[in-house]
Amino acid sequence: MRNLRKLFASLLAAGCVVGAGGMAGDAAAAEKHKIFLSMSYIGNDWQAEAANMIKAMAAHPSMRDKVDLQVQVAGPNAQRQIQQINSMVQAGADAIVVYPISPTALNQVVRAACGRGVTIIAYDAEITEPCAHNVTIDQEEAGRKTAEWLAKELGGKGKIVAITGVPGTSVDTLRTEAAKKVFAEHPEIEIVAEAPGMWSQANARTELSKILATHKWADIDGLWMQVGCFTANAMQIEAGIKPEDLLPCAGEGANGGRIQALPVGTEVEGANGAYAPMGARRISYASPPYSGALALKLAVQKLEGQEIPKLTTLPLPLYTSEEMKLCEEGTWKEMSEGCNVFKPSIITNPGWFASIYSPDTPEVGLQAALVGQPEE
Amino acid sequence: MSTTLTVGERAPNRRRVGLGRTLARSRGLLVAFLVFVALFLVVDWISPGPFSYFELSFMSSGGATLALAAMGQTFVILSGGFDLSAGAVISLVNVVLATSMGESAGSQLAMGVVALLIGGAVGAFNGFFVAFVRLQPIVVTLSSMFIVQGITLLIMDKPGGMVAPEFSMALTGDVITDLLPAPIVVLLVALLVWFLVRNSRFGTGIYAVGSDEEAARAAGIATRMVKFWTYTLAGLFYGAAGAFISAQTGSADPLIGRPMLLQVFTAVVLGGTMLGGGRGGAVGSLIGAYILMIVVNILLVLNVSAYYSSVVEGAILILAVLAGSFHRNSPVAGYLRLMVSNLRARRAGTLASNHPGQRFSPTLSVPAAKAGETERASWLERHRATLRYLVPAYVGFAIVLVATHLIYGNTLTNPAYFNSLLVLSSFLAILALGQGTAILTGGLDLSLPWLIGLIGIVTADLISGSDSAALWVIPFGLLLGTALGIANGAGIVFLGLPPIVMTIAMNGILQGAALVYSDGTPAGFASPTQRWLMTGSFLGVTPVIWLLLLFVAAALLLLGRTPFGRRVYAVGNSPLVARLSGVGVGGTLIGTYALSGFCAALVGILLSGFSGQASLGMGDEYLLPSIAAVVVGGTLITGGRGHYLGMLGGVLLLTALATLLAGTTLPSAVRDIILGVVVLAAVLALRDRNP
Repeated sequence: MRNLRKLFASLLAAGCVVGAGGMAGDAAAAEKHKIFLSMSYIGNDWQAEAANMIKAMAAHPSMRDKVDLQVQVAGPNAQRQIQQINSMVQAGADAIVVYPISPTALNQVVRAACGRGVTIIAYDAEITEPCAHNVTIDQEEAGRKTAEWLAKELGGKGKIVAITGVPGTSVDTLRTEAAKKVFAEHPEIEIVAEAPGMWSQANARTELSKILATHKWADIDGLWMQVGCFTANAMQIEAGIKPEDLLPCAGEGANGGRIQALPVGTEVEGANGAYAPMGARRISYASPPYSGALALKLAVQKLEGQEIPKLTTLPLPLYTSEEMKLCEEGTWKEMSEGCNVFKPSIITNPGWFASIYSPDTPEVGLQAALVGQPEE
Repeated sequence: MSTTLTVGERAPNRRRVGLGRTLARSRGLLVAFLVFVALFLVVDWISPGPFSYFELSFMSSGGATLALAAMGQTFVILSGGFDLSAGAVISLVNVVLATSMGESAGSQLAMGVVALLIGGAVGAFNGFFVAFVRLQPIVVTLSSMFIVQGITLLIMDKPGGMVAPEFSMALTGDVITDLLPAPIVVLLVALLVWFLVRNSRFGTGIYAVGSDEEAARAAGIATRMVKFWTYTLAGLFYGAAGAFISAQTGSADPLIGRPMLLQVFTAVVLGGTMLGGGRGGAVGSLIGAYILMIVVNILLVLNVSAYYSSVVEGAILILAVLAGSFHRNSPVAGYLRLMVSNLRARRAGTLASNHPGQRFSPTLSVPAAKAGETERASWLERHRATLRYLVPAYVGFAIVLVATHLIYGNTLTNPAYFNSLLVLSSFLAILALGQGTAILTGGLDLSLPWLIGLIGIVTADLISGSDSAALWVIPFGLLLGTALGIANGAGIVFLGLPPIVMTIAMNGILQGAALVYSDGTPAGFASPTQRWLMTGSFLGVTPVIWLLLLFVAAALLLLGRTPFGRRVYAVGNSPLVARLSGVGVGGTLIGTYALSGFCAALVGILLSGFSGQASLGMGDEYLLPSIAAVVVGGTLITGGRGHYLGMLGGVLLLTALATLLAGTTLPSAVRDIILGVVVLAAVLALRDRNP
């Protein structure tokens, strides 16, 4: 058994040496940090985009000689992620970047990993175990700021519909509670209907359609949605409502929603149907998909001996209709000058999340999020 | 549940005795064990470093929750049942323990008992309705799943809470340091319970009820008590699983159990237990659970790309089940033999078709009764049986409509309400035909989510807003869906795979295909006509409603008036009788899954028209409702009985209820509970009163 393993290992090593063409390559490879990415479910747009950005970060010239990145998917099941993180530790990980399925279920395995000197860094959602590093946004701020904007748009008065996220998750509960607290301060604002949108444009449409079977657009004054403003605006246009009469909508940073918020008549390549500028009244926030790429960068810094903070709270990307600015190509440099929405001819999926710019990640731009290619 | 039919089935070989027979009987278990050992060796080989006590300890605790839950599920499946509440019970126990456990040893011990009691209570609830009220297990446990989920969210709406560290150490620490981890002891205790039960009178009862309930009753077994205690015992195991996961994670997450449900079934099937009852055992399920866990390690050591991991898992599932079921009487072997003898006959010129036999065309005697002699039974009389299971869904629908009217006013007189309701129902109504037909044959199609997703993504990408492209892409998409459905059917018929296994694996493979095709970012969008169909207006209503009417008419014709429809019912009632009556069982099954694939593809295309674009995971929300609607509409989950009108009633009831709830501000926890109660009430009305 032991001998067989040695045989196998030597065969593998032989393969490596031949492949690398000499000892020099072999030595460089040995210095690489072994970093694993443990993702949750990849069957949705946000996760796939975040994964592309992480891969691009690892492929950037400044990183590719330092990092050996392996990507694994745990699916929606926390039990499997526990098993996965453990096997990553066994496989000799230096650091593990995690999209945690549950903020609490991983605590024990993360503690064990920390005990073995592995750096654990979570992105987007949090891990509550103190030895883990977290890169995330302030979810309560997201709920509060968007609700405050909507209350102001409505002049503190009106009937609103709320489309929430996945019930039972921390992110959804924190955002929704914070928003409801704001609405409660305005006694004349009333939530007339509330439904879980599961953070998907498709679900938002289904839930809104159900709500509209018993409520009329005319009876609603505003919308607070974790995901789905693009869809809500499209539905109003279909119902014959003129662009200037669209309801104010506080929601996420989908590219389609931001295009809609551009003034009517703005020239954008590839606009079609409801995916076009219509001067919609919007505030657009996001859980930015670059958080994973930043987490990887921080992990490398930590492995190189730098101090990194336990908690990195990302600035909340928050734009109102007036602040939307179209990007030409979507390079990092262009985004750093303030553009925040992309042409439909490049991003054909309006549900695609547009908040990919961070001053801290010049390695990744639009091509990273789209196809996993880093900036030059 | 299983509709596998052995071609050329033979009488069991009676000469095989002693060790040989024991081996033959526990073949499934043995194969599961060998698969586990093989996978383990692969992992150990490739991973650096030896397999240490640390790894043993961690691996044993990693799979224990799943193993306990799967062992519990095994009891239910052995008795011929089906329990969907497993994952929900685990979550409930988890949140109760993490919110109420104190620091003291007494409190910890008490909470351990409470965990078992909660599981047992939910199990007893299921057992009561299944055994004494004689409701279908899948419906009872579906509604208890919703109710328990709701209660869980009421107790805790986000992850948190704390489980005492001593409690965690007791279940996941060491019993003998560096030698025996506690999870292994937990599992040994569970195995002990299993062996005690299996060798008791009650255990024999479980197998007897699962093999043939009528025969068991005739033999003097108190079948109802056996069923009741089976579900209760299963509940105790889920309770234990919930306690274990609490110890393992040290805190609570109200969603932790939900995604485990499919894995629990997969573990049971991997362990060699037959769906439908009577054969298998909990030892295999335990091994099955650990196989599923070690697959995670396999994917890691082989560095399988993220997009392909669900494909590899699907392939492992199919291979493991195939290995377990392959023997000289298995369908594969049967078809191979058939092929060989066919070839031989062809060469020798003795094919049946070469026989100059006589044409057989019997003249059926005309009913002797002349007009007026015996009165023809009234329409109501002739259709009483059908109506009894068909009407309750519509009664429920009417009640929901009245409730909606009372709450919101002007519903019953508002055409816009009915328009939205029908548009929203169209997806489920279409899926219900495919899923319903699969259920009528005694199967189940779990590949719907990613069939919908893949077809939606591929067609939206190829159409990219062009109506002229849609002209060829839509037929292509429907064809692709049908072809994938045929692949499902072929796996079920020719490889003899249980429909659940084949379609779960297919779902994983299609998920991988969708991710690879779209590179994680689906492009493209629906054409204007596609969008007009779902959101425009034609003769006063949304165009898709006219399409829906056509579809319903076609579905009724297909199931009620065609030979295919009759064959579906025949296969569902008894595949063996159907085959002996000259029904091409294999062809019917393939046709059934092809139909389901077609329906899912149609929904994928309509959904992308509805949303304007396709997205990953857009089919996820339709799997459980498609099953629920079919069953609420009076279809028997074991096949053979049901009517498309009933399924349509189920769709309308569920959609109207969801619409009613969506317009309110009730918390989603309360909505889950209401949904569960309504489903249960609907089937209570459907209850089969004849024992």
